[in-house]
Amino acid sequence: MAPTNTTPRATRRTILQALLSIPAFALFAAHAAPSRKQPADELVEVNGWILKRSELA
Amino acid sequence: MIFDNFEGFRASGFTPKVILIGSGPAGVTIARKLAGAGIPVAIFEAGKADFTEESQDFYKGKTVGDYYFDLDVTRLRYLGGCSNHWAGWCRVMDAVDFEPKAWVPDTGWPIRRTDIEPYLEEVHDILDLVPFRDDVWISDDIRWVQLIKSPAVRFGEKYRSEIEQSKNIALVLDTYVTRLEGDGTKVTGAHVWSAGKDQGVAVADYYVPCTGGLENSRLLLWSNEQSNGGVVPHAEALGKYWMEHPQFQGGNALMDNPDQFEMDDVSEAFFSPSLEAMQREQIMNFGIRFIKMPYHGAKWLVAELACVAPETAEWVSEGIGGNLRCAAQLVMGWEQAPRADNFVALSATEKDALGIPRIELHWKKSELEHRTLLQGLRLFGKTLAEKDYGRVRIEDWVLNNQPYPDDQELAGHHHMGGTRMGDDLSKSVVDRNQQVHGVANLYVGGSSVFATSGQCNPTTTIVALSCRLGDHLARRISQSAMAQ
Repeated sequence: MAPTNTTPRATRRTILQALLSIPAFALFAAHAAPSRKQPADELVEVNGWILKRSELA
Repeated sequence: MIFDNFEGFRASGFTPKVILIGSGPAGVTIARKLAGAGIPVAIFEAGKADFTEESQDFYKGKTVGDYYFDLDVTRLRYLGGCSNHWAGWCRVMDAVDFEPKAWVPDTGWPIRRTDIEPYLEEVHDILDLVPFRDDVWISDDIRWVQLIKSPAVRFGEKYRSEIEQSKNIALVLDTYVTRLEGDGTKVTGAHVWSAGKDQGVAVADYYVPCTGGLENSRLLLWSNEQSNGGVVPHAEALGKYWMEHPQFQGGNALMDNPDQFEMDDVSEAFFSPSLEAMQREQIMNFGIRFIKMPYHGAKWLVAELACVAPETAEWVSEGIGGNLRCAAQLVMGWEQAPRADNFVALSATEKDALGIPRIELHWKKSELEHRTLLQGLRLFGKTLAEKDYGRVRIEDWVLNNQPYPDDQELAGHHHMGGTRMGDDLSKSVVDRNQQVHGVANLYVGGSSVFATSGQCNPTTTIVALSCRLGDHLARRISQSAMAQ
């Protein structure tokens, strides 16, 4: 039997649209941090040097 | 008044209330405080007005354990004592240095820094110091601290004229207190050798050895041995918990901007850790001396950095192009853990010209100290990298836990402990007022009372403690006179 119940998905979309229509929430969405943060530039010790990982040759 | 020897002093009829033994920073400071309160004091100085080989010979001794300076080179036996070769570095021990470190046994003082702070203005006058600036935190872990390079007061020179004119101070040269005599509750006299002969026993109401961080232990050990424990009845800790400030170049640094830290007039800057960083790393306090490096050293360091981090090497070399003095040697001095197995003992075989046993110093650096050196450099290196102040390279011998080099400064010539301050009779010799436990009229002055050494040079703290002891004795003597 094919699924027929699409009402809940439409309801969620409606709620989201409603929320985005609120100015503050829209602002938040525009500036939200990316879901995956860039890893911090961790410090490493190489041959006695204390360096940032990004500096390594 | 100044007398060339004990015979002249005896002939003068001067009757001291207090006998101070030694004319270094502690002895002279305590004498001046007491004289200012109208109390007559005698300072017995074993040496003469100037250096002589003959006097210096009494300071010969032997060190067992790690390599250390010759004991007749690391101190001076004439008017002014060790102030005569003091370099002049000044800083008062920090508040954290008085607190116990829970991760290191037997650390902490029974007094706090606030107990000596009322005397710091006076200390500035005594040592000709300008005011200290506040520490500057450059990260949560590291602060940029100030050590002042003072004019290095020679106590025998600066205060000679004042002592000559004083009616309350009798400075007696060439007067060696060979031992104290005591009955287990009080000292009853000081045996004196002067002008080449035994001069008998000098007496006063109070006695204060101020002969330095090695000799105080020797005098009291010998006195106690000769009086069957009558001078230091609670002697379990006598001579023990001896400490130095080991110092080694443990790394180098490259900075792109040399103006980030204002250097002092000898091109040095100093850095120390936070208490939290010490606790987290389970290490002692330390001071990193950042010494600007000549150009050839900087070039070598940049070339080495280019092998592992070429762009960073380019970044610093651009800075170096603008100013050739932005590389530095990192010399680290650190606080040594107080340990009973670092101690001053009387030699069983070696004696001085009067037959008194010479010192046998037992001294070793511990694994905790290597960790302090390594982790301290790492803390400093991380701060410099995180804040982009520069980059640090730690020396291979530090990383690989190889033996300490024997061609460096080794230590600070700072002799501390041996008669340490404390409340526990089994782990200390003097109480919080520097009075020997259980002895009514015997006090000890100088760095031998340090319970923990902190990381900074000791002279400023010695002078502050001496002002405090001078005040304490003056109050006690005055109260005693009023009660009679």
